[in-house]
Amino acid sequence: MTAPVTSMTMPSLEPPFEIPPIITYAVPAFVLLILIEMIVVKLSKRGRYEVRDSATSLAMGLGNRVFGLAFGGIAVAAYFWVYQFRLFDLGWTWPVLVACFFAEDLSYYWFHRIAHERRWFWASHIVHHSSQHYNLTTALRQTWTGVLGLSFIFTLPLMLIGFPPLMVLMFSAISLVYQFWIHTEVIGRLGPLEWVMNTPSHHRVHHATNAKYLDANYAGVLIIWDRLFGTFVPEDDNVKIHYGIISQLGTFNPFRVAVHEWIGIWRDVRGAKSLREVLGFTFGPPGWSPDGSRKTSRSIKQEWAAQQQSAAVPAE
Amino acid sequence: MESYLAQWVAEAPVLAGSAAVVLLMVAIAALLGFRTEARLDDAALAQLAAAEGARIEAAVIAPNGRHALARLSGGKLMVARVMGNDVSARVAPVNGVQVRVTKGKLSARFADLGFPPLEMPLQAPPPWLAELAGEPK
Repeated sequence: MTAPVTSMTMPSLEPPFEIPPIITYAVPAFVLLILIEMIVVKLSKRGRYEVRDSATSLAMGLGNRVFGLAFGGIAVAAYFWVYQFRLFDLGWTWPVLVACFFAEDLSYYWFHRIAHERRWFWASHIVHHSSQHYNLTTALRQTWTGVLGLSFIFTLPLMLIGFPPLMVLMFSAISLVYQFWIHTEVIGRLGPLEWVMNTPSHHRVHHATNAKYLDANYAGVLIIWDRLFGTFVPEDDNVKIHYGIISQLGTFNPFRVAVHEWIGIWRDVRGAKSLREVLGFTFGPPGWSPDGSRKTSRSIKQEWAAQQQSAAVPAE
Repeated sequence: MESYLAQWVAEAPVLAGSAAVVLLMVAIAALLGFRTEARLDDAALAQLAAAEGARIEAAVIAPNGRHALARLSGGKLMVARVMGNDVSARVAPVNGVQVRVTKGKLSARFADLGFPPLEMPLQAPPPWLAELAGEPK
């Protein structure tokens, strides 16, 4: 089923040019930039590398490619299936390309935010945050279970609106490539770019486990969404950033890294005593527990805010 | 199905090349000396415990300083291990950790795939640990 033709001249739904394999083409640049960063870190002592941590990150990146080949077709099929029911035939025009860029970036923001706020999606995304280091190899520490965890559903509304699936996939790839270079401690602040763009400084905050920085800066390319939806937190030069996750991993094994949170969900659900608990363990915030005995981002931030407040009030 | 297989065949050299590049980069990282080891000691354990709002009551640290098990105030146990130049720890109630001491080896297991069982040599377990290991879990 296709949407009814609403104008005399049907816009082109096929790309007017061959879309290159953007990520594949970017890989040599990734490799070169990682090598440059390693040398800069070695010489300047700014930033950190650890060989096993990097090996795990790179293995996760390679595994992501393998799982993408195996299951990526499911997401693409879903895109084209939903596209049948599109509301508009938007076609490949310049205004649509510009609108698609913003729409894809906005959908990424919400995907990313929910991937942090709901354990089902966090189970895949946690992989990307599981390094205690923050360097360009961390950018490649990607999930193996994203498609199986249905992460792609956040992009489906774009197809329903009528953005061509290949256009959306193109901007997703551009966004992924853009986000590579911001995973570094080597680059400081970037002046006026910080107002609009997601930058290394903004993304360091996003990867931090410091209470002050939890659940902030979900942007893909444009930081404007965080500023708009109240999740923007600027980097504070006086705060030493600790990277990773609240319960830091005790393993470099890529298979354990890939599935540990899924197994955690399974174990919790198996021990659940009610449907409420099943839903809470599966779709509640990471760290949710029936009796509130575990830590969530919110409880950690509340505890931290209370400590700040009591420290600010002079003792009588 | 045929096109699916063809896709794998077409991608196989790319994946093999990527794997080779990964190995090369890891080798370069090693050559550049990015292989440092943190060491656990009493001060490091105290710091980890303090982050959980607890203090160390007793602890055993592996001779190489890479693993440790500590009993914390509040009836909890903390297991810590070195992860390169960082440290990772888990704090759990005593009944949440399966502790065994057999043939000069201490083993501590969690129901957490992200933190594999801790194994460390231990010749003479202190009384608190022997008691802990002897308790039915």
